Amino acid sequence: MRLLLLEDDALLGDGLREYLRAEGHVVDWFSTLRDVQAVQGEPYDAWLVDWQLPDGSGLHWLATRRAAGDRTPALMLTARDRLTDRVAGLDGGADDYLVKPFAPEELAARLRAVRRRGLGAGQERLQVGDVDLDLAAHAARVAGLRVDLTAREWALVEALALRAGRVVAKADLDRLVLGADAEVQSNALEVHVSSVRRKLGRELIETVRGLGYRLATEAAR
Amino acid sequence: MTRLPSIRRRLSWLLLATAMAWGLAVSAVVWLAVRHEVNELLDDTLRASAEVLHGLLSAGGGTLPSPLAAPTAAAHDERFAWQLVGAGSQVIGRSARAPATPLLPLPTYGFADVADQWRVFGLRFGDGARVLYVAQTRAERREAQAEVALSTVLAALAVGLASAAWLRARLRRELAPVVELSTLLARYEPLDPQSRLGPATREELLPVLAAIDELGQRLARRVANERAFSAHAAHALRTPLAGIDTQLAVAMRECPPELRPRLDRVRQAAGRLTRVVAALLAMFRSGVELQWQAVDLAGLLTRLPVDGLEVQVDATAPLQADPDLISAALLNLLDNAIRHGAGRVRVALRQEAGVQHLQFDDDGHGVAPAQRAALNAALETQAYEGRMGLGLMLTDLVARAHGGSLWLPPATSGFSVALSLGHPPPSGEAASPHV
Repeated sequence: MRLLLLEDDALLGDGLREYLRAEGHVVDWFSTLRDVQAVQGEPYDAWLVDWQLPDGSGLHWLATRRAAGDRTPALMLTARDRLTDRVAGLDGGADDYLVKPFAPEELAARLRAVRRRGLGAGQERLQVGDVDLDLAAHAARVAGLRVDLTAREWALVEALALRAGRVVAKADLDRLVLGADAEVQSNALEVHVSSVRRKLGRELIETVRGLGYRLATEAAR
Repeated sequence: MTRLPSIRRRLSWLLLATAMAWGLAVSAVVWLAVRHEVNELLDDTLRASAEVLHGLLSAGGGTLPSPLAAPTAAAHDERFAWQLVGAGSQVIGRSARAPATPLLPLPTYGFADVADQWRVFGLRFGDGARVLYVAQTRAERREAQAEVALSTVLAALAVGLASAAWLRARLRRELAPVVELSTLLARYEPLDPQSRLGPATREELLPVLAAIDELGQRLARRVANERAFSAHAAHALRTPLAGIDTQLAVAMRECPPELRPRLDRVRQAAGRLTRVVAALLAMFRSGVELQWQAVDLAGLLTRLPVDGLEVQVDATAPLQADPDLISAALLNLLDNAIRHGAGRVRVALRQEAGVQHLQFDDDGHGVAPAQRAALNAALETQAYEGRMGLGLMLTDLVARAHGGSLWLPPATSGFSVALSLGHPPPSGEAASPHV
């Protein structure tokens, strides 16, 4: 999943970025509200937002995004643990609330829950022809034989699966798979699409000419 | 509970005693004065009677008519008597009440007392060889004096009691502002900006109110500062702790396998630090006043940052307690359990005779009976230093803050801690469940 991490503490921000990248996520880490303006409107699968930031309130930023109609799942990461804080955080637009200090394993588990909700109940396993994809275990099989995908290739499959049935614009898919590196790697997405098709079969990812890509209809429920 | 001295009661008794003493003293003085005057009056009467009788007897030439020489008893109770005593101390004449022998053995002129029976006035009669005695019974005098004394004392006591009752009522009215001040103080909440002590109704209470108001303001400032500090400290401590744990988790993934046990130990230590910090922050944040709430024990325990323990909760009703403080206590107990080899913990809540009993049992190493006894003794006297760890000390403080106590019951295996907690005061109605 592509994650926006808004955390001003360098130790925690850096640690989370590395930990979540190792989990297969694409992580864009920002330390201030000013910095995050640069990616406003870009597609993310989840926001991880600290409440207390050097230049303002993360909760206020979240409320503003919600008011603008953005429904991206959001997790508040905060040291505020009072009941009133948790209520204010959830009422302010957060879908989940994690009190610091937390174990990164718990955050990863909550992100898996976000993905499950995004995929719909029982849809973490996709079957397209003889291709079997287990998005939870990051395991792919073709005709029963295990096929290894890279982190970026899983990110590509996951981004399309989370938007099943919809055409995902190439620019958005670029961002979802490559994160902030997308602009400097202009043809990297095509390379990953090609690689996935080579490993799992051409029919898994459809190209909708002039619009973008879409997961195969059969896989898209 | 020992009944403390009461200003009102003490002043009431003092006023009553003073009124009674004053009444009795006045009675005594009045009685002495009246007795003196009564004696004088009766003496004058006695003298006048003697002189009248002397005149009457002298008018007869000194010869007594025969009825007087041989008196007959009067129909009424005579209080006066007379004697005419001759030169040979023989009684020449007397009244019926007078004795047959002379009232006085030797001729005596003027006033004299005969034993405890008579007050006598003697007059030289005729040629000087005879003496006329006129006497009054002492009983008559005593009766007159007793009546005067009784009337005086009764009047003084009545006035004293009436004064005491009036002063008592007056005292109650004068002390009413102090009672009102007590009521105001009971309702006074220095941390609530709307809470006011109200204007002083007596000059003497002005400095008291001013001092309490100043104290309340200082307390409110202090609590506000501590709360602000607590919020900053929470952020300043919790975030780096999360960062340390996350960095360690990343390092454990990236490091060579032989380094993982070492990093795992560091991460466990960081976890313990996290629990201690969380407990201390909760203790610190609880402030000066307990926030009584209905606490769902099972929900609370699932939120505490403790891994590697199987926690079983046995509670049919919510716990009435301050959620922050009880979190701190449970965190410390769970941390103790982990450090002493426990894998399972049971937390049970039961109510008995208005007391909430929270029992915490783990399957860890436990302590020897002698050590348990020493710990209980230290807990009872709050002699924490050097005798126990932070966990038990904080948990005991939490129990005491809830009007209860902590002790370590015997356990056949593992370690047991029993907390007794009181109930919120009637004014602090339990809020909605804290989840």
